[in-house]
Amino acid sequence: MSTTKKYSTVASALRSFVALVAVLSLVVCVVGPTPEARALTVDKTTAQPNQSDGNQIIGGVPTRITWEATVGDDEEIKEIHLVFPAGTTLGEGANTKATVLDGLARLETPQENTITDEGTVIDFAEPVASGLLIRVEIFYVALPAESGHYTLTGRYVDGEGTERELEESPAIAVISVTVVESITQWLDEQPWVEWWNSQLFLRVFFNPQLIVASVPTLFQGWLRSLGLVLVGFPLAIPIGLAVSFLRMARFRIVRFFASIYVNVIRGTPLFLQIYIAFFGLPFLGVSIDSYLLGILVLAMNSSAYLAEIFRAGIQSIHKGQFEASASLGMNAVQTMFSVILPQTVRRVIPTATSEFILLYKDTSLLAAVGVMEQMMFAKSMVASSGNMTPYIVAAGYYLLVTLPLTKIIGSFEKKLAAAEGHSSEPPDKKKKRKRLQKTEDAPSDSFAPPHDNFRRGNGLMGPKI
Amino acid sequence: MSDHHEVTDKAVVRIQNLHKYFGSLEVLKGVDLEVRRGEVVTILGPSGSGKSTLLRCINLLEKPTGGEIWFEDTCITDPNTNINEVREHVGMVFQSFNLFPHLSAKKNVMLAQRKVLKRSNEEAERIALEQLAKVGLSDRSEYMPSQLSGGQQQRVAIARALAMDPHVMLFDEATSALDPELVRGVLDVMRELAEGGMTMIVVTHEMGFARDVADRAVFMDEGIIVEQGLPEEVFDNPRHARTRDFLGHII
Repeated sequence: MSTTKKYSTVASALRSFVALVAVLSLVVCVVGPTPEARALTVDKTTAQPNQSDGNQIIGGVPTRITWEATVGDDEEIKEIHLVFPAGTTLGEGANTKATVLDGLARLETPQENTITDEGTVIDFAEPVASGLLIRVEIFYVALPAESGHYTLTGRYVDGEGTERELEESPAIAVISVTVVESITQWLDEQPWVEWWNSQLFLRVFFNPQLIVASVPTLFQGWLRSLGLVLVGFPLAIPIGLAVSFLRMARFRIVRFFASIYVNVIRGTPLFLQIYIAFFGLPFLGVSIDSYLLGILVLAMNSSAYLAEIFRAGIQSIHKGQFEASASLGMNAVQTMFSVILPQTVRRVIPTATSEFILLYKDTSLLAAVGVMEQMMFAKSMVASSGNMTPYIVAAGYYLLVTLPLTKIIGSFEKKLAAAEGHSSEPPDKKKKRKRLQKTEDAPSDSFAPPHDNFRRGNGLMGPKI
Repeated sequence: MSDHHEVTDKAVVRIQNLHKYFGSLEVLKGVDLEVRRGEVVTILGPSGSGKSTLLRCINLLEKPTGGEIWFEDTCITDPNTNINEVREHVGMVFQSFNLFPHLSAKKNVMLAQRKVLKRSNEEAERIALEQLAKVGLSDRSEYMPSQLSGGQQQRVAIARALAMDPHVMLFDEATSALDPELVRGVLDVMRELAEGGMTMIVVTHEMGFARDVADRAVFMDEGIIVEQGLPEEVFDNPRHARTRDFLGHII
């Protein structure tokens, strides 16, 4: 299934990235100048990821730094002074602990350590013998808040009491603390949040920390859903227009097939169509990127609805418009594109926009087949947090698009009604026009939306699957 | 009778034994009519007499069921004739104006010039403004149809047809949808057109116009031409009872 496929591609990309890094570091090791034999060789420096849901190290938040070095041949180490990068702070209970390892065996190593903002000093009671590995762990130390690559420097004292500079450690990549993390941390400390979260309903549906965490994560889902509909809908327009032409074709057989297309698509759930496409095509050996396939299914579905909207729009144009065009010698194509469609566009904009809203909401159905979109993002956040709040935030994101569009449709319909009602006329002529319109053949009859048994829901926000 | 314009012998439109059925209803029952260059013919008759259908057959807006229609040297009822080429030369004015509501008056007059005659934008605009001036609407060229009165709309429609340099103009009850006070302006334009020598076939209920402007009046009833002749003769001395009956009701 496509989810696993997606994950496996991500995993393989990761693997190749890791391999690349390994090769590069190998090259550096081989090509780089061979260091003179040192009494203490720094092997590694790492910090423990301290991001709440990630694997990166955030600056300004306590973490654990691990630093390892090997004692050189015929050398002994008495003291190690590690210097922290400027801006390092200590968390509560910060301390340093050194472990000496002989292979896998852990040696008893009495030591006296001190730690400050500037660094830490490890003073071994007995000098550490050659060939041993010294692992220094610094607990509850916060690297600088600014993002960057930080190294530990310092010096050490060997068995003879000589002080020498330490070689620079490998760098630790630090990301700066995110706004979200800091807001979440701030919220954690607020008394009203504590009260809020003690109420079951509020905690489950409107958890403040989760709202803050959901907004940026679901934003990506929002973009993807919007991407689906913004590609799918424009694709549906020409298909729908073509089908509407076929629905009005001269030949009965063409009309027949076009009406089958429209009625089958409108008469079956989009959910079913998605399943057939996503599970049926692999049987035929056809494999299409799931995002692309999702767009295609949405476009196909919407094209059937648009075809009917366009057809109703075109047929609502008074036949006098066709006759006037014909009487001027214009052919069918010229008439359609210069006279009929420009008038149709205005009339169908409100209905086509509600179709856009419907399709936008329908992108959520693709979550069922693992297409990463808004619902999927919300679903995985709900799964990991055990809280409904991400769904509520997702609802907010959907409304962010649908509410303004609904409003725009409303004002457009008003404008359209005004235009067709000849409101731009001087007031003294208005009365006459009104009388006139009753007698005349109503050249600009208003557009009645198509009677549509298959319409999803009653209105814009009608009930769905 | 108006003899201030010249009627030639050359036929512009020749209709022979025209039949038209709508389903099983026979609307035209064998009509013969010839209209010569420069001639102004009015077609009168009660509603349902087939006069509008006859007119609409001339540019094939209605497809004749039987008979032949010739436009100059072209048989337009021949299926091989490209009707759009014929329609270029046959102007038509409708009862309901049928202006393109999304285009300004000027653009209404320009559209077919650009699309059909392939005139340049500049030329089409120049001709559009000329024609609008002729119908007295120079100052309305940028107005949208919805901003114009019915009479003004109809005059734009006439300008739109005239811009195509038609050889004949068909008027299908051009003033029937207008308020009485607006009829006059349109009729004046039609009168001027007739005086300028345009060949015109006019379906109308305006008896005054038929009498003063037309070279010939044709009276139709129940799908046939009952009688035709000089307007004075048809109006003052109708030979047929049906004509007398109709005129008695109208005048």
